[in-house]
Amino acid sequence: MLKSLFYKEWLKTRRLLAGCLTVLVVLNLYCMLNVNHIVELKGAAHIWLVAITNDAVFVQMMQYVPLIIGILLAVAQYVPEMHQKRIKLTLHLPVSTTRSVGSMLLYGWVMLLVLYVLSVLLMSVWLHAVFASEIVMHILLTTLTWYVAGLLAYQLTAWICLEPTWKRRAWSIVVAAALLRMCFMTDKPEAYNGMLVVLLLLALICTTWPFISIQRFREGRQ
Amino acid sequence: MLRFAKISLLTVVCLLVVWILPWLYDLATSKRMNSPFVMYSAVAGDFLLTDNSVKPSVTTDLQGRVYDGRERDSLCPMFFYRQLLAQERLPDTLFGQPVTPRLLQQTNFTFRISPAELNATHVALYPLLESMPDRVDLAMPDDVFRITNRGLEFIDMETNRVNEEKSERFTDMLQRKDFCFPATQVVGNPTARKEYDEGYLLVDEAGHLFHLKQTCGRPYVRRIELPDSVKIDAMFLTEFPSHKTLAFFTDMRGDFYVLEAAEYQVHRVQIPQYDAHSCPMMIIGNMFDWTIRIDERSCTRFYAVNASDYTCIKSLTIDDEVLPADRMGRWLLPLRLRLLSPTHPQVSPRLGLSFNE
Repeated sequence: MLKSLFYKEWLKTRRLLAGCLTVLVVLNLYCMLNVNHIVELKGAAHIWLVAITNDAVFVQMMQYVPLIIGILLAVAQYVPEMHQKRIKLTLHLPVSTTRSVGSMLLYGWVMLLVLYVLSVLLMSVWLHAVFASEIVMHILLTTLTWYVAGLLAYQLTAWICLEPTWKRRAWSIVVAAALLRMCFMTDKPEAYNGMLVVLLLLALICTTWPFISIQRFREGRQ
Repeated sequence: MLRFAKISLLTVVCLLVVWILPWLYDLATSKRMNSPFVMYSAVAGDFLLTDNSVKPSVTTDLQGRVYDGRERDSLCPMFFYRQLLAQERLPDTLFGQPVTPRLLQQTNFTFRISPAELNATHVALYPLLESMPDRVDLAMPDDVFRITNRGLEFIDMETNRVNEEKSERFTDMLQRKDFCFPATQVVGNPTARKEYDEGYLLVDEAGHLFHLKQTCGRPYVRRIELPDSVKIDAMFLTEFPSHKTLAFFTDMRGDFYVLEAAEYQVHRVQIPQYDAHSCPMMIIGNMFDWTIRIDERSCTRFYAVNASDYTCIKSLTIDDEVLPADRMGRWLLPLRLRLLSPTHPQVSPRLGLSFNE
């Protein structure tokens, strides 16, 4: 049953996932070309010193990309379910709600993690070709917050999409916006080192919130 | 699980409220604070407070005497020497010492310690400039060094490879001076936009202080003896035009010290202890005295210090003005959650009571 549910999710999201993967690869390539262009024009020493003394991370344009991917994936998964109440079919399957909805959420997390890990690996490879490991770690640790924000955004969007009433949905959007704002309070590199675990825990806690929306849906809230 | 979901949602919403409401209240009630510019005048023997919020600005001393702009310039001739020079009013002798604009320019300095900068995370790679360059101007090097458990490693930035020969040369020199790897502090000003270069000050694993620089491509390492009771906390390489001081540092107790360039002598500045990691400090110095400003949580302290023996000449405390809106805010919103701090660049949840601020 889990396999079938995963397959259903795959059918809904495969094109989007391919598009997201393409965007991540293209943006990585663009950032790499940008850095190589500066190295060619001004020399590697210049870009190293900019990284060391000016705290530049060179991949700033990717800041909101994981967040947008997280939101889009949740929309692609849950808006069709809520449209014309198709989720009723999923809830009528001979498995518990926790298992059916949980597997949909698990699918989202797995897909996002695959995309994000691929992006981090790709970034790590091209950064290592130019920079010392200290600078690479500095940049990767800075970008980790953006990926955690993507997971959080996915989870909060799922919660909002599954909510059956607009009144509660509006209230959920306010809470989600405030929580996501927490991930983008400052542009300083490595500013979130001490907060990453807290944000990840928050994203994990948020996995339980869609079940409140499902419960309300089952109670017939319109 | 549903119960956990509801409780966690309610908890998160409560935390968001104690984060957002005080922030919104502060945003709505914030007002510009007019704090005077304070400087010690050796001529008047008193602090001068200049209120720049009124035009023309008004300067008063602690006795209540009022001075206009011209009088203020004359009372602080070292600080306003360019103004006095332009008006041909610069004296040729101050306190029995002949002075020239060049001498005043060389001995004047402004130094700031920002806790946010001190507490920030930096890349642990350090460019070591040539301190005796062939040309007049300093130039940034082609390599940077890191300090590992085994020694110093120079990495060529063009090839991203370790320069074994240079690394060995510097590591050997440090080992000969009994440096215990790795370093716990590496302090320098890695920029070519300065008059001269003093390299880096290093604190080794054993807590000993070392001076490292590169002269004519060769390592210069000097171990600096500190009094036994002094354990360095925060350190800053000065590189002022006067060449008199090498560094300022605070120890674990919060005492503030000057490390003089000549003979590496350490002197304690006779001011009360303070925490460099949470209180911003500014020093406006000249050849006769320094005005030290320390911003504390609820007040600003000023100290006039003798530039020769670092004794405290005079001190002044100005309590921060608490606006009625701030006072009311503390009662209305006693619990606050902050994610940002003016002294720590790291984002982190800081839950506290407004009354303690």
